[in-house]
Amino acid sequence: MFAGCATMPDPADKEAVAEFKEINDPGEPAMRAIFEFNLVLDKMVLKPAAEFYKGFIPPVLQSGVHNFLNNLRTPIILLNDVLQGKFERAGTTLSRFIVNTTVGVLGLSDKAAEMGMEYHNEDFGQTLAVWGADEGPYLMLPIFGPSNPRDAVGLAVDFLTDPINLWANNTNREEVVWARTGTRAVDERARNFDVIEDLEKSSLDFYATVRSLYRQRRKDEINDGKASGNMPAPGLGENSPFPMTIDGSEISQSK
Amino acid sequence: MAFRRCLAIGLVGLVLTSMVSGPVRAADPLEAHAETFIASLADKAVQALTVEGAQRSERVSRFRRLFNDHFAVHGIAKWVLGRYWRRASDDERSEYLILFEDMIVVSYVDRFAGYTGEALAITKAVALNDDSAMVYSEIVRPTGGPPVRVDWRVATEDENLHVVDVVIEGTSMSTTLRSDFSSIIRREGGKVAGLLKVLRDKTKSLRQDLAK
Repeated sequence: MFAGCATMPDPADKEAVAEFKEINDPGEPAMRAIFEFNLVLDKMVLKPAAEFYKGFIPPVLQSGVHNFLNNLRTPIILLNDVLQGKFERAGTTLSRFIVNTTVGVLGLSDKAAEMGMEYHNEDFGQTLAVWGADEGPYLMLPIFGPSNPRDAVGLAVDFLTDPINLWANNTNREEVVWARTGTRAVDERARNFDVIEDLEKSSLDFYATVRSLYRQRRKDEINDGKASGNMPAPGLGENSPFPMTIDGSEISQSK
Repeated sequence: MAFRRCLAIGLVGLVLTSMVSGPVRAADPLEAHAETFIASLADKAVQALTVEGAQRSERVSRFRRLFNDHFAVHGIAKWVLGRYWRRASDDERSEYLILFEDMIVVSYVDRFAGYTGEALAITKAVALNDDSAMVYSEIVRPTGGPPVRVDWRVATEDENLHVVDVVIEGTSMSTTLRSDFSSIIRREGGKVAGLLKVLRDKTKSLRQDLAK
């Protein structure tokens, strides 16, 4: 049978219902099928490309490419810093761009990080979260991978607000968009190569592991990496009793 | 001589500073304790896991000892199983605890060497309540780029501190295992026995990988 939806647990079993809601993956069977498709695609295209990139491109060049791509993301990061009201971080983003584009030679070298201005990422999915949007049910997008309605909207908005994409689309230079997207995918895959290998090998259910990790990573990004003390953990019960807020904007502003 | 004098001045300075302002870091005894605990765990891990020419099997057994001595292994294992722990029979529970330890040891022995190592720098420790604290640390990547954030959650158990969770870049080891394990149990119709079978097979294949 090709069922598209996960089966609801018996409503009498309160714990099972709570678990079902926490997993929040109503389309699980379909999502698993897409995940399998993505894994096949990864093994055929992205993984070999990342393996080649990692093995044959000099590390100096690899970090140059990575820095260059990060620098190109500046407008998106800056816009979302501002939309989230994080003006100090917006200042860092702007200073980084100026330093890296000049002293760092067109962004190839991350001189700003050496000066203590570390890179941070922002996107419109995070902005929506800070504005109070719920993530919604888990989604596995073909090619793009783990997501949810909030982050999928974010992805589309990021694409549409990116000045380089706008310029390329207006001047019929779609190949620029493709080249950039492709390079970014290979760079990301190569940087996380060992972690992915390890996870795939050691997890019992790779799909469930990826789902959990994606949500945790997003929560961490939304909170700018400042909420690990709030997580449920062994010995502390399901809900940690601490008065700290999990709301990203408040935690980051208190810094 | 010059070195000694420097040291003496340094010590006097240190004493004076602590008299004036008190210890700046880790004012809370639990925080100070937690920080030393993680620092010493990292030291021991370096000694145990990065010995030149040590056999794989020797490293595995050293890691097992380290894991049992410093981690709340049973506490983590029970939490990972969550509500299914109550449903498990006594036999299932004892087999699960053994398999859990085995699986973590074989799948983390190589990863753990990377999490600790000499590049681990503790940034701060924060008490969460009377008996647990979070120790924040960073690991400098040999390949460059921003350091990896590793947060250690420690809790007091039988008057000794134990690690209850390791959070890397916001992803918790315990939470991830819990999602992974409970997904298998659901697939197996809510039966812990189904998880035990999968765990048995997984541990076996990971062991074979390690032996390669």
